[in-house]
Amino acid sequence: MWPSPAPVAFAIVSVTDARRDESDSAEPPQANPPIRRGRAPRSPLAAAALMAWRWLTRMRTALYLLGVLGFLSLVATVVPQAPNVPATVSAWRLGDEGPGPVVVGLIDAIGGFDVYGSALFLALLVLLFTSLTACLLPRYRAWWRVVTRSQPPRTRHVGHHDHVATLTTELTADEVDGRIRTVLADRRYRLRAADDDLPKQVAAERGLALREGGSLLFHTSFYVLLVGIVLGLLLGFEGDVAVVEGDAFADTTISYSDVGAGRWWDQADHAGFTLTLDQFEVDWFRDPRFGGTPTVFESTVTISEPDGATWTDTVGGNDPLVVDNMRIHQLAWGYAPRIVVEVDGEVVHDAHVMLVSTDAGVFQGAVKAPAADPDVGFDVLLWPYAPVDETTGTPVPTGAPWADAPLLVGVAYRGDLGLDSPQRFDTLDKTNLEQTGGAQLRPGAVVDLGDGVVISFPELRRWVGFQVSSKPTLPLLFIGGVLVLVGLVPAIYAWRRRVWAVLETDAAGGHTLITIAGRAFQRPQAFDHEFPAIVKAIRDATDADPSPTPVAASSRPVAVSRNQQDTS
Amino acid sequence: MTQAEWGELSTVLFWPTTLLLYLGAMLASMYAHAFTSVARVDAHEPVAGRRGQRIATGLATLGVLTHLFHLVARSLGSGGRVPWGNMFEYSSVTAFIVVAAGLVIFQWRLRKPQIMSMLLLGAILTMGIALLVYTDPGPLVPILNSHWLKIHVAAIVLAAGVFTTAFVFNALHLLRDTAERRVAAARSPAGSTVGAAYAGDLLEDEDEFTEAVPERDAVEDGVLGDDLEDDRAYGLALRAAINPRALFLGSWVAAATMSWVWLDLGRFLGVNTVFALAALVAWWFLPHLPSAATLDALTYRTIAFGFPIWTFAVLAGAVWAEQSWGRYWGWDPKETSAFLTWVGYAGYLHARATRGFKGRTASILGLGAYWIMLFTYLAVNLVVTGLHSYAGVS
Repeated sequence: MWPSPAPVAFAIVSVTDARRDESDSAEPPQANPPIRRGRAPRSPLAAAALMAWRWLTRMRTALYLLGVLGFLSLVATVVPQAPNVPATVSAWRLGDEGPGPVVVGLIDAIGGFDVYGSALFLALLVLLFTSLTACLLPRYRAWWRVVTRSQPPRTRHVGHHDHVATLTTELTADEVDGRIRTVLADRRYRLRAADDDLPKQVAAERGLALREGGSLLFHTSFYVLLVGIVLGLLLGFEGDVAVVEGDAFADTTISYSDVGAGRWWDQADHAGFTLTLDQFEVDWFRDPRFGGTPTVFESTVTISEPDGATWTDTVGGNDPLVVDNMRIHQLAWGYAPRIVVEVDGEVVHDAHVMLVSTDAGVFQGAVKAPAADPDVGFDVLLWPYAPVDETTGTPVPTGAPWADAPLLVGVAYRGDLGLDSPQRFDTLDKTNLEQTGGAQLRPGAVVDLGDGVVISFPELRRWVGFQVSSKPTLPLLFIGGVLVLVGLVPAIYAWRRRVWAVLETDAAGGHTLITIAGRAFQRPQAFDHEFPAIVKAIRDATDADPSPTPVAASSRPVAVSRNQQDTS
Repeated sequence: MTQAEWGELSTVLFWPTTLLLYLGAMLASMYAHAFTSVARVDAHEPVAGRRGQRIATGLATLGVLTHLFHLVARSLGSGGRVPWGNMFEYSSVTAFIVVAAGLVIFQWRLRKPQIMSMLLLGAILTMGIALLVYTDPGPLVPILNSHWLKIHVAAIVLAAGVFTTAFVFNALHLLRDTAERRVAAARSPAGSTVGAAYAGDLLEDEDEFTEAVPERDAVEDGVLGDDLEDDRAYGLALRAAINPRALFLGSWVAAATMSWVWLDLGRFLGVNTVFALAALVAWWFLPHLPSAATLDALTYRTIAFGFPIWTFAVLAGAVWAEQSWGRYWGWDPKETSAFLTWVGYAGYLHARATRGFKGRTASILGLGAYWIMLFTYLAVNLVVTGLHSYAGVS
């Protein structure tokens, strides 16, 4: 099924029948290795199974499988995927967004919201890899045979090839034979051993093992990638953690939210360091032309290892930090104002509240204070840059992200926060809450909302979202990727060609007539350059002259349709 | 010069300078080949033809130089970064690669000057797309500011340029192939009528047409075509075999499958119409194109050249994603469709090696793969939201 040129057919033939292959040299490359058919199976079930197997191992089938995989991926590009954007998927399902319930039901029916986790996708992958394996195994064997045992075939009609040239020389046929062999061997052609009982002929071939070997390596590398991915899933760990400037977290599973740990991941595999976020630096071009393009995006962190070693380093956008086996990436950030809430003189909330950035440039989050009775909650909005308009004297919120004039808006709610059921940290569940008031605060402000509730905003910090992961198979995946390329290049660029030299002794004149013929299976244009070079090298090596009386066949124009051949 | 002045200069160099030079080169090249048969092997080269060819080459070379200068100025105008940081710049570099590769490889090395006009047409269309996603020169977001930008994006853009070149050959191959089949069927001694030839083309079976192959090959290579009148008649028959209205409509609809991404009626209609008009230009140029078999070989070779580059680019992207986003592969829309493009071209290469898929089916797969690549580029940047959606288009 995979693009296998002639090697297999040729290798088998050349082993079984050395004579017959002479005519085979003019045969077009055969696309598929012949299927060895054993005895006809007895039961219809076995026959069906055999048919199914043959169907599966055809290249055509592999192309269809690839096509369906491709189509599913296309679906996954357009349809939101639950593992990537769960919120959008639930919005589609609820009908708040998306194409409507009918289409959504259809998508759900084929597992379109989690294409890469769907049984269909997995089944197709398994089929594709089965098909690949079934096709590769005979090709390995055939390739090995080509490398170890194969010989290029003799040609029967030397004048019938695309490229023909004739030379005459004073040397004897034996001398010429030896010199031509040297010329071709220097050009890394594989030579056929001399046939004692047949007319003198040199047959040589090049490029077959490399092209097919490259193709095999290319396809084999997918197994390396597959093993790397699967092992990575089993052995790996990935967790997210959000840290406010000045705070720290320890590398244990309970520190992380969104933990994705492989089946073979163990608690003891954690590096066990403690990371303190000393400072997070972020800045932007203030020039409106560039729309607030960021300039810096970097955390300074202090790592304390369990053995007592402590050091300070930075984690940037393209610059993860590696501690033992754990990789630390800086992925997200936001503002974290310290918000203190007092109810009747008693502090019920005093913490840095992590606010998440939104498309509108405002940062948003929630304060939840169940310590008060009844509960107190705040919807919190923060505009980092809301300068005071000089004419009206009121703050004007802008979308700019730099915190030069932060304005915090808190909307107060009282009632039941409903914390018994799981909910997002940055939104309030308002089913049992009642809005009681609101306030605008600048840093340092204290606002009495009445009813005994006092909110203050003493300082503004930032928080950073880190991803901590362990990916032990990354080197293996890297090797797999390198093998893909190392195999692909010869599979596409290496080209197979044969050269023959037929030697005839002119008894009367006492000289040897050399007829050189050549044929390229791929890249005929490249052979247009190589063949004359080979002829010239042979001419120089044998002190030959161009034949004054060319053999009849060679007077034929060099392949009219040469450029129309398949150049694959 | 200040940064802003460099930026302005780069824009002027792009439009009108380079675009008009390419347009002039295309027209001169078409004139040279359409009216004077300068490409013929047997060299009945009138002076006007040679002069037209020379002017075309000169204008194209000058265009490549101004284009290069545009890229340098653009780089200086954005604070010295590499000039491939947003969609406008990707398209600009892609067009540059198409014309530069066309001049160096297809005109000078392979000596097929007649396809230069078609490559210029492809490059002009690509530059048109660039103008539709124009952004002023500016700095990069820090996440893009990595050595991987130079490696990953450069490889992607290079591969895109190569695939765009291949697309020109691919589309021309399908067009010329259809025309040649129809002419061959109409001329075949079996005496099929024109209507039957059309029907045969729809129920396509390659073997049916094999007996017609020698004829078209022979004409291309100038063996039967020594008689210029016959050659001319064959060319006209090729043109007559394609219904321009159907071609226009088909191209318009084909372009519509992509141009909706702008979500703008004016651009939708404009892009479709320009693309369909380009198809008509190719139709008019049909008699002067290389044979279908040559175009097929060119398509294959170009795709085979671009495929390892694309593979490398995707792998480099995975390495960068691991560094930047903490995962080597996340099925982000861009990643998915880049992978899909890879699958598409892998499908094309495999189809070429599979009996029964070779020829037209493979060619159609190649067109599909390019469609996916454009989808990867345009739709995923403009419509679908993902991690790659920072290409600087407002």
